Amino acid sequence: MKENYYLAKWLNNEITEEELKKHVSEDELHTYKKIIAATNGIEAPSFNAEETLLKIKQLRKNSKVKKLNFVNYFYKVAAVFAVLLASYYFVSNKTTNYNTNLAEKTTIELPDNSMVNLNADSHISYKKKNWETTRNLNLKGEAFFSVHKGSKFTVNTNLGSVSVLGTKFNVVVRDSYFEVNCYEGLVSVNYNKQTIKIAAGTGFKILNNNVVFTESIVGNQPSWLQNNSSFTSMPYSYVVNELERQYNISVTYDNKLANNLFTGNFTHTNLDTALKAISIPLNLNYTKISDTKVSLH
Amino acid sequence: MDKKNDVGFCDEKKFSDFFLDNSNLLNNYIYYKCGNVDLANDIVQDAFIKFWDNCKKVIPGKAKSFLFTIANNLFLNEYAKNKTALNFKNTPKQNYTNESPEFLLEEKEFGTKLNKALSNLSEAQRTAFLMNRVDGKKYREIAEILGISIKAVEKRIHNALLNLRNEIENI
Repeated sequence: MKENYYLAKWLNNEITEEELKKHVSEDELHTYKKIIAATNGIEAPSFNAEETLLKIKQLRKNSKVKKLNFVNYFYKVAAVFAVLLASYYFVSNKTTNYNTNLAEKTTIELPDNSMVNLNADSHISYKKKNWETTRNLNLKGEAFFSVHKGSKFTVNTNLGSVSVLGTKFNVVVRDSYFEVNCYEGLVSVNYNKQTIKIAAGTGFKILNNNVVFTESIVGNQPSWLQNNSSFTSMPYSYVVNELERQYNISVTYDNKLANNLFTGNFTHTNLDTALKAISIPLNLNYTKISDTKVSLH
Repeated sequence: MDKKNDVGFCDEKKFSDFFLDNSNLLNNYIYYKCGNVDLANDIVQDAFIKFWDNCKKVIPGKAKSFLFTIANNLFLNEYAKNKTALNFKNTPKQNYTNESPEFLLEEKEFGTKLNKALSNLSEAQRTAFLMNRVDGKKYREIAEILGISIKAVEKRIHNALLNLRNEIENI
């Protein structure tokens, strides 16, 4: 104990007055006593504890409300994000649909710049999400694809699927008729659990469950793109159906002719020429009953 | 201090008890520092709110010290803002009835001197001294509250008395 705080000890009754006198003079002791006496009389400032406590509780209640608001705010922000996320998911996962009506053709550009020509009364759908990595689309009807090189491109139909890496090909799915013609590159067709490779300039069709390979396809795109439908050994019913689709008409004819094979073509631009093209080879005449009805006899 | 009882200040009843036990001393403590009643009141209020906000962080047995540290920090922040506005004023109120006018005058004179001397003490000395004299706190309690050793409290009080006497005798 280096320092001796005798004044503090005396004040705390740890040492007696006699002991203190060893350190301080009589006069000094007198002053100290006066100081102690005077400080005894000092009153602390008034303080209303109850009132302050009430105030604190009030303030705290308010701040609690604030905290609750913060939670609400958080929920609001979270809700906005949830909606944004959900809508993003919805939009990106959304199926894109394209339809053509009777007597209508259209051209569609896919997200990877691949082109699709959609023939009359046809439908395609695909998901934009992950298009770059999985190029999958569904087809009903007839379409010509001009696919950019890239990942595997698959056309799904209810009769089979066609996959390619980059090429030009035409797909037809009408009722039980399935036809794939390749104009460039190589396509592989999945039909009945077997894979069939089709090289450029060849084709493949399924008619009444019979597989028929077509050799030597002429030109570099299907004829319907030039507004002309051409047929090689096709049932007459199919030819008439195609005519109905292209002109949005209904055709009546003798059902006995339905399975006759027809080879030829008709234009999409002139109904009279087209009707002549499909009636004359079978020695038939045609009568226009109304704008939308034609009879072959 | 009972350590078992020194937890769970988040409970409103517990907090209220703690407030009623300590708010008066805290108010005086800040008042001794600055001599400003209003500021002391404000700081007591803010300190207890902060204490309540942090009620989970209170270490058992250190609640008082924690409270006074909060108050001291608040005071230092406030003091830094308006240094000039603070002026220690201490007016001892004494009720003497049967004293001679000379004595009264002398007492009044001494009181004035003491006030001035108290004002001139260092903040640390004044606080420790007045907590002992006015609030009747033992050195041990003061040490606990201020987070210093008992020895340090003795030193402050010793020096406070020395300085007071010198100041009063020299006026």
